[in-house]
Amino acid sequence: MSSGSAALEALRAAARDPRSYIRAWRSTHPGQKVLGVLPMNFPRELAHAAGVLPVIVPDDQEPVTEGRAFLPEFYCGYTRNLADQAATGRLSDYDALFVADHCIQLLGATDVARELDPARPVFLGQLISSLNEPWAVRKTAEMMSELRSEVERLAGVTIEDTALAASIRAFNRDRALLREVFDARRSGDSAFSPVELQDIVAAAQVMDPDEHRELLAAVLRDREATARDERIRVHLSGHLCHAPRRELLEVIEEAGAVVVDDDLWTGRRYLQASVPEAIPPMEAIAQWYADRNVAMPCPTRVQHDVDWDEWLLDSVHRSGAEAVIHLMPKFCEPHMLYYPELRRALDTAGVPQLLVETEHEGIPLETFRTRLEALVERAHRNRPAYA
Amino acid sequence: MTTTAAPAPERARRLAATRNGGQMVAEYWEDLFTARERGKQIVWYNGGAINPIFQAAGLAWCHGEAFAARLAAQQLEGPAQLAGAEYGYNAELCSYSRTHLGCAVLTVQGDEGANTGVVGAHDQAELAARLPAPDFFVNNYAGCSTGQQWDEISYRVFDKEVPIFNISHPFLWGNRPDAGYLKGEEWESASHYVRDQLVDLIAWLEKRTGNPFDWDMLRESMTYIKRAAELRREGLELCKSTPAPATFWDWISAIAPINFLPGNQELVDYFQSVRDEIQHRLDNGISGVENERYRVYFDGIMNWNKLGFLSRKFAEHGVAVVAGRYITNAFWQEPQLIDTEDPLLGMAQHYLLCPTNHGTRTLDYLTLRDCEEYGVDGIVFHSTRTCRAFTGPQRLLARSAQNTLGIPSIFFEGDVADASFYKDEILESRLTAMLEAIDVKRAQAS
Ligand code: SF4
Ligand code: SF4
Repeated sequence: MSSGSAALEALRAAARDPRSYIRAWRSTHPGQKVLGVLPMNFPRELAHAAGVLPVIVPDDQEPVTEGRAFLPEFYCGYTRNLADQAATGRLSDYDALFVADHCIQLLGATDVARELDPARPVFLGQLISSLNEPWAVRKTAEMMSELRSEVERLAGVTIEDTALAASIRAFNRDRALLREVFDARRSGDSAFSPVELQDIVAAAQVMDPDEHRELLAAVLRDREATARDERIRVHLSGHLCHAPRRELLEVIEEAGAVVVDDDLWTGRRYLQASVPEAIPPMEAIAQWYADRNVAMPCPTRVQHDVDWDEWLLDSVHRSGAEAVIHLMPKFCEPHMLYYPELRRALDTAGVPQLLVETEHEGIPLETFRTRLEALVERAHRNRPAYA
Repeated sequence: MTTTAAPAPERARRLAATRNGGQMVAEYWEDLFTARERGKQIVWYNGGAINPIFQAAGLAWCHGEAFAARLAAQQLEGPAQLAGAEYGYNAELCSYSRTHLGCAVLTVQGDEGANTGVVGAHDQAELAARLPAPDFFVNNYAGCSTGQQWDEISYRVFDKEVPIFNISHPFLWGNRPDAGYLKGEEWESASHYVRDQLVDLIAWLEKRTGNPFDWDMLRESMTYIKRAAELRREGLELCKSTPAPATFWDWISAIAPINFLPGNQELVDYFQSVRDEIQHRLDNGISGVENERYRVYFDGIMNWNKLGFLSRKFAEHGVAVVAGRYITNAFWQEPQLIDTEDPLLGMAQHYLLCPTNHGTRTLDYLTLRDCEEYGVDGIVFHSTRTCRAFTGPQRLLARSAQNTLGIPSIFFEGDVADASFYKDEILESRLTAMLEAIDVKRAQAS
């Protein structure tokens, strides 16, 4: 196996089996803590600077069994999966859970985890979600320093500003390299399949950033740029907190489309904004939170002058996407609320689109394939006849 | 020859006094529908009862959830929900928001709406909703993230032309050991944070309406509201008696007055009459349910399409629904917090006390406390299909009630404002099973 293939295999392993990664990390970092971070905006740099491994708890794609007893079936797949992880002891790899975002479904699942294992610290450091308020900057800064104190309490250390600045650089470097890959895809490179890219980003959400970057660099050294073929270019939009099923990504490409960009949680949403390095680190982290929603708007935030719909149109123009596929996790309320605005904007701009409601289990792949083929057909009709 | 079965005798004895409330509420809406003609500016708002501030700012106010609930209770939600569905709102979205957003869509699309400021005039007959278009939005939603996002989307449906003010409410999660109901550093700091935002809201309203804020009117209306809330609490206390002189369903009928009617003497008189009727029943041995056999706690937001139906159904089984989270732990439920001379802090605290704004630990404390104080035999959880805020902690609460107090519970599916989610056979069979289990337990104990 080439070093690039081995590196990709290591990334894939961390993405698909984070528990083994965590156990291996623990064996080389005795006495150090592992923090389970819930989406979307907790600054992992704070934990990293304290010597803690911050892992964004993924949907582990197991079927929901005992978790059914704790959250209703009309919660989104990610939160039901979290409840199931809590109910079956699959969260025991984490020494604590931190959440910084107020989605009511996410808090519901987090509370299940807290109730089922009262000994493990579960901390909510709620970042302000209404971002136009005159006090938003102050409240964000206050909450970031509370999060810092809480991480210090967990780790039993004081976070030095120099260490925090170093952690910021480490995550920035990793995100920057990821961004290069995504930007290349947007510009016509199809060296990586959507499943490979998803694994690469999902691994970044689990791993130490330096280790991740080194592996990714090894992968890139080994992988030639590949010109994109003539399939219909699509943008994937949605899935705010967890990865869509890999089978679904495969079917999209099999149906005659090629993914050229996205705003998925396990895609561009993760890597779009960097933490500023030229200002004091705590200020920088607060600034990053504000920047994130501008760099990629999120429907869980309220910011009147930032529009996901406009962002999506711009993005479609930048990538030359010919169609948009909305991947909406069933029951995801922020997405359900914002979706008509997206639909209206794309309709007005004449961009073909398809809404796919994704389920945690039992994806009707053949139905999706038929609907995707119809979308591809429609998009083909928009191509100039002589092209 | 066909025979018609005689209807089962009505075993629910609903309070007469709440009917006057219905009249007051109908007059309020009539007044709102003509507010524009009377030169009033109109605010659409969601969340906690912030109407006293609008009253003192000289505005007419429309509570989005209340309007959606009203449409559902009158079985008139269809046209608004259809408009919402056509616009793209998924049927699994909070049905309050989708009904209200449907109204917003109709307002924007309404042929005459643009000129008259009246919601989709062509749909008036079905909607019975001559809802005037907003001049402002104010979001005051605690607990549920959907509440804040919903108003942001209303703002966008109106093409960002209607100014909006958002109040942010910390979720009372209970991070620290000192955290608890009405106590701890988290509670104190959140209270002051929200209070400060109310001060900013008042300045914002003054600037936009051009009206100086009438602080005396705020103090006056909060004095009436505090008194009304005290009377409401007294009435709720009286319902701890066995048999209960009034039920949860009576209190549901009395939500609208406490939630959004103006603070005035009429409001106090109304709650005085409700309280007095309950006292009169106690004095005369009249129960809210004929031959009460079981006492039940109801957890969940109301199923507005089914209010009368559910009240009769439980009564037919001899079940007095004596308390519930949506009643006992909501709507100015801690009037002692209100300082009528300086009411903003107590108001802010009530907004934080929304029954969906607590972590499960506090909800557990409140639920177990109420179950014990009201002598409850079982809990009925309304698994409100599109309201994740209410339903999230329910399974944990059921587990705790069983483990701590030995109280059984059942779940039934329904919704706040979408009748299609209600499944009568499920409620009927589960309720019967729970009552049988309670009978067995009683027999074993005797
Ligand atoms: S934002 Fe959507 S996907 Fe994420 S936790 Fe909330 S409901 Fe689930
Ligand atoms: S989901 Fe429930 S709490 Fe949230 S906005 Fe809708 S009705 Fe209110």
